[in-house]
Amino acid sequence: MSFDLNFIGILVGAIMASSVPLILAASGELITERSGVLNLGVEGMMIIGAISGFALMVVTDNLFFAVVGSMLSGLIISLIFGLLTQSLLTNHVATGLALTIFGIGMSAMIGKNFVGIPGKEFPLLFVNLRESIPFLGPVFFGHSIILYFAFGLPFLTNYFLKKTKTGLIIRAVGDSPTSASNQGINVTLVRYSCILYGGAMCGLAGAYLSLIYTPQWIENMTGGRGWIALALVVFATWSPIKVLIGALIFGGITILQLHMQAVGLRIPVQLLSALPYIMTIIVLVVISRDSRKIKLNTPTSLGQIFYKEK
Amino acid sequence: MNTKLKVSEISKIYPGCIANDKVSLEFGSGKIYALLGENGAGKSTLVKILSGVVKPDEGEVFLNNESVKLNSPLDAKKNNIGMVFQHFNLFETLSVFENLSIDSDKKDEELRGLVNDILKKYNFKIDLDIPVLNLSAGQKQKVEIIRCLIRNPKVLIMDEPTSVLTEQETDDLFISLKQFSKDGILIIYITHKLKEVLSLCDEVAVMRKGKVVSVSNTINEKIESLANKMVGENLNTIKKKINNFKNNEEILKISNLNFKSDDPYETNLNNLNLSLKKGECLGIAGISGNGQNELFQILSGEIITEGTSIMFRNKEIGKLNPRERREYLMAFSPEDRISQAAVPELKIYENVALNNFKSSNFFEKGLVNEKKIKEHSKKILSNFSVNTDNVELKSQFLSGGNLQKLIIGRELITSPELLVCFNPTWGLDVGAINYIHETLIQINEQGKSSILISTDNDELLKLSDRICVIYKGKLSKIMNADTVTAEKLGILMGGGSID
Repeated sequence: MSFDLNFIGILVGAIMASSVPLILAASGELITERSGVLNLGVEGMMIIGAISGFALMVVTDNLFFAVVGSMLSGLIISLIFGLLTQSLLTNHVATGLALTIFGIGMSAMIGKNFVGIPGKEFPLLFVNLRESIPFLGPVFFGHSIILYFAFGLPFLTNYFLKKTKTGLIIRAVGDSPTSASNQGINVTLVRYSCILYGGAMCGLAGAYLSLIYTPQWIENMTGGRGWIALALVVFATWSPIKVLIGALIFGGITILQLHMQAVGLRIPVQLLSALPYIMTIIVLVVISRDSRKIKLNTPTSLGQIFYKEK
Repeated sequence: MNTKLKVSEISKIYPGCIANDKVSLEFGSGKIYALLGENGAGKSTLVKILSGVVKPDEGEVFLNNESVKLNSPLDAKKNNIGMVFQHFNLFETLSVFENLSIDSDKKDEELRGLVNDILKKYNFKIDLDIPVLNLSAGQKQKVEIIRCLIRNPKVLIMDEPTSVLTEQETDDLFISLKQFSKDGILIIYITHKLKEVLSLCDEVAVMRKGKVVSVSNTINEKIESLANKMVGENLNTIKKKINNFKNNEEILKISNLNFKSDDPYETNLNNLNLSLKKGECLGIAGISGNGQNELFQILSGEIITEGTSIMFRNKEIGKLNPRERREYLMAFSPEDRISQAAVPELKIYENVALNNFKSSNFFEKGLVNEKKIKEHSKKILSNFSVNTDNVELKSQFLSGGNLQKLIIGRELITSPELLVCFNPTWGLDVGAINYIHETLIQINEQGKSSILISTDNDELLKLSDRICVIYKGKLSKIMNADTVTAEKLGILMGGGSID
């Protein structure tokens, strides 16, 4: 029996690990979108983060530099998006799509020389506790510091948006950039900051994939997780806590359906593979039915270009 | 606290239009100043300059004899100039308190105390912790005013503040403004409503085409004298003949109509009953958001109801869509000219073709007969004095007044039996309003009927034969227009009852 409990604990731990990149990227994108900017380049920023992190790890042999570097590279890529949409006033959707295409191509080019190189072991915390406590041990202990950060992030984000002045200003800009500007808020600066923060979080999400989750470089290794993160933000109706729930459901069903495939149930594999997508959407739609709350959480100016009157 | 504000030789030029042409004005505290002018006269540009939103090309602003640079809204705030915009600058999804705290340096508790003091002093009743989108227009305006008052303003500028208010709310606002003025705040009141100038303000500056054309004490002015200064020509006053429709045939009947919406931001309609005679104009008054949108959509067929609930010339039309209703000779002029009545990116003649019946010969074998449509459009442009003869012009380049003339013209040129219009003169200047009003009276004289849904009481009293009020989705009793006064309407619009 204790073996079974432990097995379930390990399964839960795996589910948590698989949802980390989604939580990170979605939390970052959530802040960006709350300021009224729709950045569809999440996938591109993630994969750039993944290759930069891995390449820096190989070159410097230092995981700290690798992680910080991945965040910086995500930030730099998002700066391109910021320049285009905020300073040159290009369309958010088209620019974001271009960013993703650019990121995927760019990462493949840089990554050519890094294929097949083994990753470095990432330090895990509280490993001894993981072994000694059944079930709870593998759930709560023996993870990387990034995982703990990721699971704290939605709560921090929630507090930041609801309780701090800066959070209030971001929500105000997302609600009505014109009003915010008339109140003397520098809309462009706020939006730039949110875009850069989102970029850094996407970079970190990518680094988690290439340094910890599957420590190696594989072309296109984000495999659409950026798009899932984007969808999570919308289906979670811009609520950080719901993003966490959505990411866990998605990660959970992804892992479970892999086990179901391994067991050899007589359900078509394609259907099982589609299950995480379907279930996540259903659950998030059900928990976000309150149309009043949706209206209050939705950034009204999402995707709109802001012109300042001169 | 004595405040003097002076603008000197202010000019602002936009491509193709001189918004302000060497405007010079002086204001002093203790008085309420009116800035009067038609749309496009340059009032809004001037106040945007005073509030730091727009930078002037030339000229200076002096506050207490010192030149002040107003390069951003922050500069205006620093100089204690407060501004309440016509289109509210509020964050709809944030709570009232969040809206107030966003640009305040004070701690939350301190600010809350200050706001509560203001609420008490001026007898405002607003819940600070609900989202702004749940407030009425009058309450939203109070939030804007409180936001200015927090900063102890020397100057308070109100940009067309009553365009969204009820009669009662307007009275309340005037009481508050007079109180502020007593407390030493200099008030500049921008409007195109002449009555308000006379009842509220001490001095009036009239602007026309970017220039100040007159400055005077309101005691020496009358409505007619101000109107003529504002428009620059003599307007003829419109008067409608009082008719008796007792013997006329009934053209439209709505009985026991209910509409329940799934959208919590729409209004449900309860048990509507009304009838309309041939040649009659029925006015429907109310504060916006009380079901006018839904009622218009039900009449136009954008919302489909039970067939029998709407009878038009003895036919059941409840289930018909707008095109089918047009074939039965109904016509519609929606509130939003740009997004509902016309497609701004399309040319004039294309917009004209949009609502035409099967029976017209605009389309042959699926192809557009451009020549016919253009001829037809030219006829509309000249018959309804639209200020262009170029049917190739994109509709977005027409001014509001000309676009409204085009829309009404498009609807009327097919000689409908019933025209339903919703706020037809919203945002238009006096000249265009006059024209639209004349046109609406004309169609009644020709024996055609009309329903006028409007938030402008003067307009309703001027044009309607009978009037009722819509409040929270319910219609009041329908009254003969000659027995109705603006005061009565105000009471009904606010949910009160009269005997």
